[in-house]
Amino acid sequence: MIAAKGLHKRYGKTVAVDDLSFEVRPGVVTGFLGPNGSGKSTTMRLMLGLDHGEGEGETLFNGERFTSIRRPMNQVGTLLEAKSLHPTRSARNHLAMLASANGIADARIDRVLDMVGLGPAKRKMPKGYSLGMSQRLGLAQALLGDPHTLMLDEPTNGLDPHGIHWMRDLLKSLAAEGRTIFVSSHLLSEMQLMADELVVVGRGHMIFNGDVDQFVREFTTSTVVVRSPFADAFVSVLEAKGASITEGDDGELVVSDMEIDHVGHLAFTEGIELAELSRRSASLEEAFMSATGAAEQFVAEMPIQTAQTAQTPEGAQHA
Amino acid sequence: MLDALRYEWTRLRTLRSTYWMAGSGLVASAAIPVVLGLGANDEPLHADAVNLSVNGGASFVIPFLAVFMAVVGIFATGHEYRHGTIQPTLTALPQRSRLILAKILTVTALTSVVTLASIAINAALVLVFWGEVPGLFDDPVRSALLGYVAHNVIYALVGLGLGLLFRGVPSALVVIFLMPLIVETLIVGLTMVPALAWLVPAVKFLPFTAGAELMLTSPANFGPAAPDFGFFDRWASGGVFALFAALIIGAAWILFKKRDA
Repeated sequence: MIAAKGLHKRYGKTVAVDDLSFEVRPGVVTGFLGPNGSGKSTTMRLMLGLDHGEGEGETLFNGERFTSIRRPMNQVGTLLEAKSLHPTRSARNHLAMLASANGIADARIDRVLDMVGLGPAKRKMPKGYSLGMSQRLGLAQALLGDPHTLMLDEPTNGLDPHGIHWMRDLLKSLAAEGRTIFVSSHLLSEMQLMADELVVVGRGHMIFNGDVDQFVREFTTSTVVVRSPFADAFVSVLEAKGASITEGDDGELVVSDMEIDHVGHLAFTEGIELAELSRRSASLEEAFMSATGAAEQFVAEMPIQTAQTAQTPEGAQHA
Repeated sequence: MLDALRYEWTRLRTLRSTYWMAGSGLVASAAIPVVLGLGANDEPLHADAVNLSVNGGASFVIPFLAVFMAVVGIFATGHEYRHGTIQPTLTALPQRSRLILAKILTVTALTSVVTLASIAINAALVLVFWGEVPGLFDDPVRSALLGYVAHNVIYALVGLGLGLLFRGVPSALVVIFLMPLIVETLIVGLTMVPALAWLVPAVKFLPFTAGAELMLTSPANFGPAAPDFGFFDRWASGGVFALFAALIIGAAWILFKKRDA
């Protein structure tokens, strides 16, 4: 169990983390989400006692502060930055160095390197590692002490699809063993498959803390998809009963503000033939965009519509 | 604390630069008795010559081994920031004071061992060229060689402190080379200008210049125009150097406890 209370951090006048409090339960994977610059990495660093300057709050790992734990890698495994490696110290020696501070046997070093698929490259120097290989070494580092708690910052960065699949299975199996897993990621589709619970932050503030389904329900509206040869007639029936209708990309009706049972009942009572009647649930990505849209710190310009521009008279003149 | 020492020792011995620096220091120091032996092995050895040969010219030209071991000291802390390994380090060993103490003890032990090895190698080379090493275990050579060990340890610890203070390698390297070779040499030179004679009393407090007093078998000779700087005795001068190292390390230690990793 991780219990974070009153985490606060400012850089000069900028508040990076603003009074965050949350709990991460054992036995489930808890995702940590937020837009770029929302304070996820800073929060993790605060939790581990790495940030001292103008940082406040307390995080307890099974009732103990991280900096008070003797041989912490046996209790809390961490991966913060994949490339935090000396370029000429081999992967095995990197782990041997960390293991030596935590009373971890050499056999365990080889075991975790094999586990993450770096066994054949363990004598290689990290300066030749890809980002994916560095991530695997970082994960090996986190697993080194066989800890009950894992804190991973963007662990799937740089991994190939097989690696991401493997990571998801690994984290879910570790959670099933009763361990506490706290993992941040930008891959929302991946998080939807992996996470059971979420901590969502934006501009250092807590936006949501709870289970994934609740988050999606809270920040999106589920809709009903209708296809009918008499769509025009059905639109006026639905609108008369208070539903909101939009037309989908393929000409289907997308009905909101009305439950699917009610839509079906109206079609039956009005004698309107239906080709499709289905519920469309929103994705985690839609919920995330809805929840964090206002908290986005770095907003990019919309892409330029080059094809469209080329069709304009100005575009034709330039061509 | 034992965990921290094990960690730091593993960190040092798994870096190629440790071997390169120690090896380069040993070779550079050994070159002095070899050159002297090839050029002047028919001349009788007196205390100054024995000292100079065995300490690899440290008391006369540049303390090669001390400089190389200072780089090991800089790497002990500077590399952690340069390559970002400070994060995994502090997640493996979050007690910051224990980590710094372990680094100090490990660099001290390694520098002492390498310096003693250098003394043994150089003494053996003197033996090869002259057939004897007169007065090696008698004063003033004995005290000067003990001072040489202390000098190199303090030098390496200054490097360690600078690496931690600047949280990187380049700035620390600039200071460790610039301060003794240019800044202090310039101040000593300026004392010979009559209008700047007021600088004379300050010279004995220049840390690297005072530290060099640890290794001498006879008073330092700054040339015929040099005034009497009134240096403290060997160990008090070493104390000035040690105090400088302590100030650097103390400031770096306090900041390390407060700063973000």
